[in-house]
Amino acid sequence: MANRRLLVKRLKAVRNIRKITRTMELIATSLFKKAMDRATEAAEYTRKISEIVGDLGRANLKFSHPLLERRAEEKRSILLVLTANRGLCGGYNASVLRQSLIHIRSLKEKAIEFQLEVSGKRGIKFLNYQKVPIHTQYTTFEDQPSFAAVETLANRFVDDFIAGRIDRLDVAYTRFVTSSKQFAVVETLLPIGSLEGGIETKSEAGIDYEFLPSAQEILTEIVPAAFRAKLFKCFLDAAVSEQIARMVAMKGATENADEMAGSLKQQYNRARQAGITSELAEIIGGAAALG
Amino acid sequence: MAELSLVLVTPERTLFDRPVASIRVPLFDGSAGFYPGRAPLVGRLGIGELRLTEASGAVESYFIDGGFVQVKGSVVSVLTNAAMPTAELSRKVAVAKIDEANAERSKSDAEFASSSRRLEKARKMLALASKD
Repeated sequence: MANRRLLVKRLKAVRNIRKITRTMELIATSLFKKAMDRATEAAEYTRKISEIVGDLGRANLKFSHPLLERRAEEKRSILLVLTANRGLCGGYNASVLRQSLIHIRSLKEKAIEFQLEVSGKRGIKFLNYQKVPIHTQYTTFEDQPSFAAVETLANRFVDDFIAGRIDRLDVAYTRFVTSSKQFAVVETLLPIGSLEGGIETKSEAGIDYEFLPSAQEILTEIVPAAFRAKLFKCFLDAAVSEQIARMVAMKGATENADEMAGSLKQQYNRARQAGITSELAEIIGGAAALG
Repeated sequence: MAELSLVLVTPERTLFDRPVASIRVPLFDGSAGFYPGRAPLVGRLGIGELRLTEASGAVESYFIDGGFVQVKGSVVSVLTNAAMPTAELSRKVAVAKIDEANAERSKSDAEFASSSRRLEKARKMLALASKD
């Protein structure tokens, strides 16, 4: 029967797809664990930096650094969009891109020139389709972004900002809050709003530090370092969130495939039984006609 | 007896977090040594060798690339951009890096600063490298 054969074919296809999604889920899980470990290790560095900044704060020193100053007039900016190289991760790319488009619109309204830099093939494809001119594109940041690569990027932004070629830097990425909560944001990284990066530094007051060479010198060095760490954290957050998004999407797909395979199997059994019944009826009918 | 422990972190990972007997770090203007009971200090680091002696007398050495050192109580925290055990440095790689930095023709002050920094780093690497 044609119908039955069709059902068998579909059932096989669904089972094959299930195998793929299940494997992708497992891969995403292990990549997520790796990315998560890296992010936790990196957090230690950021924590220490903010601790030193906190110590500097108590040294009665004027916090002035070119990277901290908000320009009176913002004319040029850079928007860095962090998306994934691969799809099949639910709404991960879409939500980052939606946020960036909203941001681009508001930049246009305020007549701020912007230079778009995009990481990840998905974002590049989408923005090309939207005919938004992309200045620079990166596809090398995979699920384990290296600090060295991010550092060169960060140094370029710092140079541009200090030289006055840009007045602000925004990054659109997915912020990782907990493993069950991530959301797409557009964050302004330059000028640096707060140095502590939202982390409360409550080290015991009254430690009298000796600063070598001087507190001011340390400050000039530590502000770019804090920025680099912040930018690196954006990349790490994006990598972790991507894996979580993929994990969740693939888990959903696997469950759907299971459900679908179940209902197809049921349909097939019913069709088979219907066939047997009709064949039996034919035989009985034939025998009755002969007798 | 006073204790001393070292935490060595890079933006990517924590390389070292154990009690030690003494530490020597490269500050921006020369070496500095820390023993237990050091007064609190925050300092800017240069490029060079970080040496630590464990309580057993064993010596470990890392090559570090700038950053900061913070001494607070009994904990010495070293924050650096990049660090690797000195034993992993290779002369060949260092020489190649020196040649590379020398071959560059800088067109601006910024380029010159970056290439001279790389040259300095490669020279320090060569000085510390023990294997080919």
